[in-house]
Amino acid sequence: MSELIRLEGIVKSFDDNVVLNGIDLSVDENEFVTLLGPSGCGKTTTLRIIAGFEKPDQGRVYFEGKDITDMPANQRPVNTVFQNYALFPHMSVGENIAFSLRVKNRPEDEIKKKVADALKLVNLMGFENRRIDQLSGGQQQRIAMARAIVNEPRVLLLDEPLGALDLKLRQEMEYELVRLKKELGITFIYITHDQEEALTMSDKVVVMNEGYIQQEGTPQEIYDEPVNAFVADFIGDSNIVSGQMTDEKVVKIDGIEYPCIDGTEEGFPPRRRVDVVIRPEDIDIVPYGKGQWNGTIISKLFIGVHYEMLVQSEHGKIEWLLQNYDQHEVGEKIGMHVDPENIQIMHKPKSEAESAIELDI
Amino acid sequence: MKKVFGRIYIVIIMLFLYLPILTLIVLSFNETKSMSVWGGFSLHWYEELFHSRLMMGAIVNTFSIAILAALIATIVGTLAVLGMAAMKPRTQNILLGFNNIPMLNADIVTGIALMLFFLMVGAPRGYMTILFSHATFCIPYVILSVRPRVNKNTEKLYEAALDLGASEKYAFRKIVLPELRPGILSGFLLSFTMSVDDFIITYFTRGAGINTISTLIYSEVKIGIRPSLFALSTIIFVVALLVLLAVNIRQDSNERKAPQTCS
Repeated sequence: MSELIRLEGIVKSFDDNVVLNGIDLSVDENEFVTLLGPSGCGKTTTLRIIAGFEKPDQGRVYFEGKDITDMPANQRPVNTVFQNYALFPHMSVGENIAFSLRVKNRPEDEIKKKVADALKLVNLMGFENRRIDQLSGGQQQRIAMARAIVNEPRVLLLDEPLGALDLKLRQEMEYELVRLKKELGITFIYITHDQEEALTMSDKVVVMNEGYIQQEGTPQEIYDEPVNAFVADFIGDSNIVSGQMTDEKVVKIDGIEYPCIDGTEEGFPPRRRVDVVIRPEDIDIVPYGKGQWNGTIISKLFIGVHYEMLVQSEHGKIEWLLQNYDQHEVGEKIGMHVDPENIQIMHKPKSEAESAIELDI
Repeated sequence: MKKVFGRIYIVIIMLFLYLPILTLIVLSFNETKSMSVWGGFSLHWYEELFHSRLMMGAIVNTFSIAILAALIATIVGTLAVLGMAAMKPRTQNILLGFNNIPMLNADIVTGIALMLFFLMVGAPRGYMTILFSHATFCIPYVILSVRPRVNKNTEKLYEAALDLGASEKYAFRKIVLPELRPGILSGFLLSFTMSVDDFIITYFTRGAGINTISTLIYSEVKIGIRPSLFALSTIIFVVALLVLLAVNIRQDSNERKAPQTCS
């Protein structure tokens, strides 16, 4: 796959507020890239710079190696699906979709055919003459998609397109989007603050916070090997605790030593202070005294498929979050075990940005 | 019981509002000049009205000024709103504050101020000074009715149009203008009625020998009111009623009718 879009050292501020702090990003042809982060992290601004609605203060934007930083939005080979769809309220569904074709003065029969094709692609055949305000939220979302893809852009930018939909519809649309992406064979750059959406659909996830890219990688990499506490906390539930390397590939947490798989080679020599992530589903419950450490269950919550429990450690002050399919009672004393490969060692935050979020476990 | 009181209440309000107008309409068809004796039905006063050059002149002045002033105010006001949209929110709020002052200001102050201004610059007072004054006091109302249409949403729609390849002009014409249209239309109608309605400002800014309906009636009252004025008032009322009905029916059918279709 060849590189399609490249951002180099993008800096952007509004008044005194620095929104992007030097973003470098590369997007390959036909890739599904998700920019993930909390609100205010700069993801929307990044998208608007790619779309051409904002000019970066510093840095360049390249499209197929060509500098497009100064190219106006209406000449860029990208189309956007806006957060609240931005459908034209005074036009019918058909006219909305036909807009970009009319701009280009395409012949009437071609417009008609392409509009019908686009509607078919989003499963809304025959909706040409409907009014926008007659559509449900999900249908509006599909029309916004159809309008953006009818002109066959090279890249589709999606700004939290599922944000306004309810949970069930959102999950349906996730599958739809992946299917559309496959059928169209174009690049998607997707923005969301919903980690589940990001992990489900993307080829590559880019986690952003405070105008910095925190980590980029496949959903698996981001989930299994978060580089810092922010990423770990943002992607799914996790126990993020302080620890210290006591020996080669041994980390001490709360007075207990655990074998792990990171050592000097990975940048964690003995005596180094570190952050440790252990996913709640990776902590196994074993009979009391039979595990690596013990604790007492202090709360229990049934959430659909599994139970979520808080366990007070006997050895220190840490409350561990556990997820388990088996039911255990509050007050029960248990032993706990975690496999070495499930202990993710991370560097303590260096920059302000990385520690910017309050970590509660 | 409650229902009966409710009905009576409404009837009383309606009587207060419309009985005077009804009296006027009835008297305009009265054969005699008396305001208390019914002398039979006649169109006499309407005839007199249409044969009076003074009155016809005032009617033409009133409506031509109203249309022109509303047009000018609508164009200037709409452009002002678009210009303001590009400014910082703080600047916008300050400008809006200035925009509100003329609306709250007493007409008499505005009228005298305009008159003094025309005297100072040496403008001969007449049709043009009335038109200029009317356009001036209508602009704030246009700004007030168009501005709510220019919001985050309009901006998003404009961006969406650009994103889909439209030039700035095309996006403005096809997307932004239709979005503003209801505001522009109501701004125009508001200006029109304000202009037709105005007496005080017109009185101070008109020259000798030019009359609008309101200043004409005012001067007629001094020499004794003629029923042909009732006829004139009746016509104005009926026209206003028809315009109102037309606007309402249009809105109604707009809500039901599907928008332009994809042909």
